[in-house]
Amino acid sequence: MIHLITALLSLAGFALLLMAMPRHQQDWLRRKLPPGTSRLLKLGGLALLAAGFALAGQGLGWGYGTVAWCGWLSAGAAITLTAQTNRERILARWRR
Amino acid sequence: MKQGLRQSMAWLHTWVGLVPGWVLYVIFVFGTAAFFQNEIDAWMRPELSSGTQVTPRALASADAALRARGAGAESWSVSMPSPRGGSGLSLSWRMPGADRHDRTSLVLDPETGQEIQLRETKGGFFLYRFHFDLHYMPVSWARYLVCVAALAMLVAILSGVVTHKKIFTDFFMMRFGKGQRSWLDAHNATAVLVLPFHLMITYTGLATLLFTLMPWAISANFPDRQEFYRSVFASSPEREASGMPAATVPLAQMVAAAGREWRGGVPSYVGIDNPGDAAATASLYARREDWKDDRLDTLYLDGASGTVLPSTRAAPGGATATHRVMVDLHTAWFAGYGLRWLYFLSGLGGTAMAATGLCLWCVKRRAKLPDPARPHFGFRLVERLNIGFIAGAPLGIAAYFIANRLLPQAMAHRADWEVNALFIAWGGSLVWAFSRPAKRAWVETLAACAALFAAVPLLNQMTTARGLLQSLPSADWTFAAFDLTMLALAAGFAFTARKVASHKPRPAPARKQRPPVEDAA
Repeated sequence: MIHLITALLSLAGFALLLMAMPRHQQDWLRRKLPPGTSRLLKLGGLALLAAGFALAGQGLGWGYGTVAWCGWLSAGAAITLTAQTNRERILARWRR
Repeated sequence: MKQGLRQSMAWLHTWVGLVPGWVLYVIFVFGTAAFFQNEIDAWMRPELSSGTQVTPRALASADAALRARGAGAESWSVSMPSPRGGSGLSLSWRMPGADRHDRTSLVLDPETGQEIQLRETKGGFFLYRFHFDLHYMPVSWARYLVCVAALAMLVAILSGVVTHKKIFTDFFMMRFGKGQRSWLDAHNATAVLVLPFHLMITYTGLATLLFTLMPWAISANFPDRQEFYRSVFASSPEREASGMPAATVPLAQMVAAAGREWRGGVPSYVGIDNPGDAAATASLYARREDWKDDRLDTLYLDGASGTVLPSTRAAPGGATATHRVMVDLHTAWFAGYGLRWLYFLSGLGGTAMAATGLCLWCVKRRAKLPDPARPHFGFRLVERLNIGFIAGAPLGIAAYFIANRLLPQAMAHRADWEVNALFIAWGGSLVWAFSRPAKRAWVETLAACAALFAAVPLLNQMTTARGLLQSLPSADWTFAAFDLTMLALAAGFAFTARKVASHKPRPAPARKQRPPVEDAA
């Protein structure tokens, strides 16, 4: 359960970080967000990653939790990257 | 120096990555497999049942077997099954005058205590050993080679980070179908996304080989290694055989004594010196279940009475503790299945990083070749070695698993032939890589990988009663997960083979809009 929530926090965190980058806002939304929103997204993303660390540390023990958190960071980033690479397919499905 | 820091780092990264690159790739492939070495052991010994709990009945059978068949032996040993599976309740004994390694052994079912006839195999343990001891060469040479490769890896990681100038802005960039740019993206992505793992595993890997790499700390402070080990680790009480016979207490009593001394701890291994003698000594090594648990000292019992013998304790120290944590982080013995899969996937990321890095060297240089149809020797060598290693090493592992199912059970040196099968298949793919046109060699070896990995679950289904059709319904997860992983690997290789086959090299890129890509290579 702790693993699952840490994984979801990491995934959501990286998704926000992705959307905080103007280049990728263009990819997904076809427009750029105002700088204030981008900054909020970035802070929000980092906050979610930090929350994942706190949760994993509390729930799994700080030693074990740190190792697991690093693993989920990689997994979350990898899934976000996969979504980013397949965005045309995802967007096409969304619009249909 | 006229060059900037980034250029010199790029040069360093290229060559420190390429020269030991194939060794690094092999270390990554086999090391990644080693995270599941017990599960691979279990799959390669299908005669073992999946239960690992040792019953009192099994302990009593072990007692009886040791007394009947190991009577008069100099030493007995009892190895408890790992909770992750792969080993039964293993007994062994050494007769007087026999060589130190010449032990007779047998394996009991941990539940019923019945003797099991296992096929002879080195199992997942071989894959684990190969990732730092290699094979067909003296272990000490292999370790020096691995040490140098790992040091180069650390340099390559650090110089790679410096070289990769847009590490954050390009964090989520993965552009397909753009030739060299795509290879660079793939190399960056597999490196950056799994960076914490890469740094950790390389650094701690060096830490596991600490005394190979830096023996001077010991040689400067201790007369010899033995003296060092004696002062750092707990040592056994030295007792000679008395020559007077006395019955050795049963295993169950030793296990119970250990439970009292260790407050609930369980032994993973029991060694008994001079069994049946009045001065018999039993050494019990504790199993650590959890990272949080303290490391329990080895327990020594008087074999005839079962009472605890006094012993020196392991010297606690900051350096020792740090070293242990690093080794633990590297081996991940403490990892539950969630974390273990993360380690495995990170390892695959590292494997992909090494592979894409090796390919990138060729991709970058192909466009600049004066005559792409007839590349120079260095280019051809790297290109062919890439095929022979990147596709050849996994091909060998698939052949290893297949040999485990197909070689006759009673074959002489069966375990060695499984290992030979691995290297015959791998060597074959190297020969193939050098004798075929490069692109066809890629497609054919990758397709062969896909075919062999797909054949593994099929052969398991045909030769054992624990194929996917049985393991899935009966929740035999080790077998089911192993076979499904083989299928996933087969699908991955098939996908890659198809991609390579349908790939049309683009004409040399027009260089008008942008200067050529220069970062990380």
